[in-house]
Amino acid sequence: MPVMQGKELRIVGFLCNWCSYGGADTAGVARAEQPTDLRIIRVPCSGRVDPLFIVKALLNGADGVLVSGCHPRDCHYSAGNFYARRRLEVLKRFLPVIGIDDARFEYTWVSAAEGQRWQQVVTSFTERVHALGAAPRIEDAKPFLKVADMALKPLRTLGTGKNAPLEKLKEAIKAKLPELECVIGWQKGYDDIHTTPLFMKSAEEVDKLVWGPLNVVNTANYLSQFKGKKVGIVVKGCDSRSVVELLQENLISREAVTIFAMPCEGTLDVARVNEKLGRYTIVNAADSDGAGLLVTVDGKKHSLAMEELAQGKCRCCTHPSAVLTDVLVGDAPQAPAAAPTPPELALLDSMGLEERRGFWRGQMERCLRCYACRNACPMCVCRDHCVSDARDPHWMTQEADVVQKLFFQTIHALHLAGRCTGCGECQRACPVGIPILALRQQTARAVEELFGGYKPGFDPAAVPPLLGYEVEEQNIRETRI
Amino acid sequence: MRIGVFICHCGSNIAATVDCAKAAEIAKSFPDVVYAADTMYTCAEPGQAAIEAAIHEHKLDGVVVASCSPRMHEATFRRTVERAGLNRYMFEMANIREHVSWIGKDKEANTNKTAELVKMAVAKLRNNSPLTAKTFDVTKKVLVIGGGVAGIQAALDCAEGGVPVILVERESTIGGKMAKLDKTFPTVDCSACILGPKMVDVAQHPNITLYAYSEVEEVSGYVGNFSVKIRRRASYVDWEKCTGCGACSEKCPSKKTPDAFNEFTGLTTAINIPFPQAIPKKAVINAAHCRQLTKGKCGVCAKTCPTGAIDYAMQDAFVTEEVGCIVAATGYELMDWTVYQEYGGGVWPDVITSLQYERLLSASGPTGGHIVRPSDGREPQTIVFIQCVGSRDKSIGRPYCSGFCCMYTAKQTILTKDHLPWSRSYVFYMDIRAPGKMYDEFTRRAVEEYGVEYIRGRVSAIYPDGQGRYVVMGADTLLGEQVEIKADMVVLAVGIEAARGAPGLAEKLRISYDAYGFYMESHVKLKPVETNTAGVFLAGVCQGAKDIPASVAQGSAAAAKVLALFARDKLENDPQTAQVDIRRCVGCGKCIRCCPFGAIKDSEIRGENKAQVIETVCQGCGLCTATCPQGAIQLAHATDNQILAEVNALCR
Repeated sequence: MPVMQGKELRIVGFLCNWCSYGGADTAGVARAEQPTDLRIIRVPCSGRVDPLFIVKALLNGADGVLVSGCHPRDCHYSAGNFYARRRLEVLKRFLPVIGIDDARFEYTWVSAAEGQRWQQVVTSFTERVHALGAAPRIEDAKPFLKVADMALKPLRTLGTGKNAPLEKLKEAIKAKLPELECVIGWQKGYDDIHTTPLFMKSAEEVDKLVWGPLNVVNTANYLSQFKGKKVGIVVKGCDSRSVVELLQENLISREAVTIFAMPCEGTLDVARVNEKLGRYTIVNAADSDGAGLLVTVDGKKHSLAMEELAQGKCRCCTHPSAVLTDVLVGDAPQAPAAAPTPPELALLDSMGLEERRGFWRGQMERCLRCYACRNACPMCVCRDHCVSDARDPHWMTQEADVVQKLFFQTIHALHLAGRCTGCGECQRACPVGIPILALRQQTARAVEELFGGYKPGFDPAAVPPLLGYEVEEQNIRETRI
Repeated sequence: MRIGVFICHCGSNIAATVDCAKAAEIAKSFPDVVYAADTMYTCAEPGQAAIEAAIHEHKLDGVVVASCSPRMHEATFRRTVERAGLNRYMFEMANIREHVSWIGKDKEANTNKTAELVKMAVAKLRNNSPLTAKTFDVTKKVLVIGGGVAGIQAALDCAEGGVPVILVERESTIGGKMAKLDKTFPTVDCSACILGPKMVDVAQHPNITLYAYSEVEEVSGYVGNFSVKIRRRASYVDWEKCTGCGACSEKCPSKKTPDAFNEFTGLTTAINIPFPQAIPKKAVINAAHCRQLTKGKCGVCAKTCPTGAIDYAMQDAFVTEEVGCIVAATGYELMDWTVYQEYGGGVWPDVITSLQYERLLSASGPTGGHIVRPSDGREPQTIVFIQCVGSRDKSIGRPYCSGFCCMYTAKQTILTKDHLPWSRSYVFYMDIRAPGKMYDEFTRRAVEEYGVEYIRGRVSAIYPDGQGRYVVMGADTLLGEQVEIKADMVVLAVGIEAARGAPGLAEKLRISYDAYGFYMESHVKLKPVETNTAGVFLAGVCQGAKDIPASVAQGSAAAAKVLALFARDKLENDPQTAQVDIRRCVGCGKCIRCCPFGAIKDSEIRGENKAQVIETVCQGCGLCTATCPQGAIQLAHATDNQILAEVNALCR
């Protein structure tokens, strides 16, 4: 059913049954005249409102979405609105990154007695949406492809791990191996400039372990499938944060996992290495000079300097050494305390809303919907039960259109809010090189800004911000209507 | 599915601004709608009969009614469809009165909106499934927490109704704050004389088990089946043997023990019985002041006790009780008034609280009912009463009115005049709040018959004049001038706050509390004794400031709720609870972590951790559903698919 042309815009409201729906009733009983645009969906509690309902509406033609619940402390269910407040605030900060004006979404509190206030909320929100006009659809945006400038200066000197005490690490693993089902690490891949995961069960297999800037895979990705078994894992600093998250989510137990760590000197951005090397058939030789790799492919020599080709996350890395270890080999290097805005996110930051819509439209047209991003994500713990290909709940259709694909990326990013450690595996795994990490980085930034600098992946005992609340939130300014 | 849609005119309430016939016509085009009609009054008998007839005639398996708010008639129509053989959850409502016809006059827009709301309801209904309530047994026993007058009343009424009662009291005697009062307004009858018999009834009632000197340690379970662990604090006296003779107290050498019952206006012994009418009348040793327990030598009471009840090695003990309902009646405390530096911050001995003054007035108090100054024991000539000390004061974060201070101050001035006929009393007040029966008359009596001087204004400072008296400086806002009174004694009507530990108990009971620790009722006006946790009720000041009559009334009201609940042998749960798809659940426990009711537990199914919903505890908020990334836990009747269907009906 189309909206009334020229008269109405499409505004969707999610109202909690106990307070705001009652407030809207009270306004009706008082014959408080309101604009007719709003369509109300009754939910038990504002805490029931999954932020993804809102994104779903906004990506599919809603011009505005309004959520209203009981006033803080008045929640019929004690605390539902406290959780809602955090989650909806994160959403509010997320929407602009996909090119949606955050003014099109608002949440507020209206009690069952506040008929007048409800009238005022509906009127002013409708006026606001009308002032913004009909929402531009992402699929209609002019494609705008731009590449992030990854060549920013690393926070510390990156290297190739040439002098890392690999043999010592191997010895340590061998010493522990009898107690463990297996130890996860990396081995040489199909050629000298690729590695693949290694599952070490014997001393011979331990000898296959390699160390260096090609160890891009996050070993933590394989950890949760060993739940209930005793395993070891070799980690870089970033991988260790994923391990901490898995511990926090009770998906592995601390006693069952032995963490081997060696300080990381940076990893290469494989996509850009491939770009530099072009198509090749054979790698003749590969060596390291400490500052980069020297490779010969098809007889031609190339220098893969870390300075130039390291992954964006390595340039901003503040924790080259594992945050949680059982066996630490090598000395922990000095690392800077604060990181700048990562390059992918900085790129998005430099654009306006319209450009971002164009950007994501263009990028999403390239997306194959292969789900490599999901499969590579160590925090995508749903595995075979991802909502993206389920019928119950049926969040997405299987159409390969821009909206569905961007909605999937949003689902992933919002499910990771407060959980994503920024390991960048999603982006690395993307076969068409879409900078999807930016979406996760935006949720991580929102969480960090809103919840006292919280960063996931440091404290297994921490309460993740979106699974907790404060009665008085320090950084959330309430009631903008 | 075969869906029937009924668009209600509600007389002219809806039909005046909505073209109901047109909306019904549009509704016929919605998927699965096989029947649509507009009716005059759908909720009236003929309207309901028409729904039933249509269900039979058109073999409907789902019904949408577009009429008033579901908060008004959802229950009505659910019964209607149930009578016609449908499950009551195969029904949806579109609110086209409060949300459409009453708020806009544009008939075209209203009709369009009506059609859309119906479309959403149809879309949701297509995702509905029949739900059935489960029944479970009820343990017909009630726990009352707090033995003040509200708790006593609740306990007695429940016991009279034939329900076994567990009464838990933190202090060594029941009676609460009322037991400390001398007389009560507006009748000026003796508090002990009206409360005493009720306390004795508690002790003697065969249905009441009293745990004094005890606290609730843990609460688990749900309505009808709570399990409560109670800590019985060590009193160092075997109460089975203690006869309450008081011989121990007479002989105890630690005679400088602060007397909490007397609000620290006097001293007592380390082993004592708080007051003569205490129930249970049993001695308790104050471990911090007992020579045997602090220094390891003394043992006088053990030698004196004729029944050998003293046990210095006693430890806290725990008992677990199974109950079906809980009444919280934890009362209040006076706030810490010493934050008011202008009143001396607690330094001047003759500036006391109203409750301390109450003990001075009481015949069982430390002075035997003589009003004397704590500093020198002389009778005061001039007494100043200051109201709203810690009430209605935003500057110290206490904006609320403590409710009963206006009245007891009037009472105290009257009693003062009775005790000391030559004395003069002044009352500094903000407003006199005397809305109860006989209350205003009572305060007028204080002014008109007893000559109490009421001054409307606040006190800015109290300081000693160097000759044993105090200068009370204040403003008389009615005269618009400064007042200075030389007083022998100052009585502060200190505002109340929730009982110490009230929020902690609320967490155990899983009920809400406000910023000041007072427990939240389910609905301010219509459910004043219920909480949002089924089976937990409130009585007395724990819910908010109230006087004795209101506390007693609420105690009885809570008892009525308990008895009504226990009138049934089985309880039915609301089937709108969360349900776990164990195939999708990965056991990460995010839902467990944020469930406000502790209704989800970790359970092991075939060696894997899975969330399990305790259906009787789940209140149906759906927070878990919004939390679970894989959608493995779904709130019945508000599933992701149902809400998505509504979103999709609007946004394509």
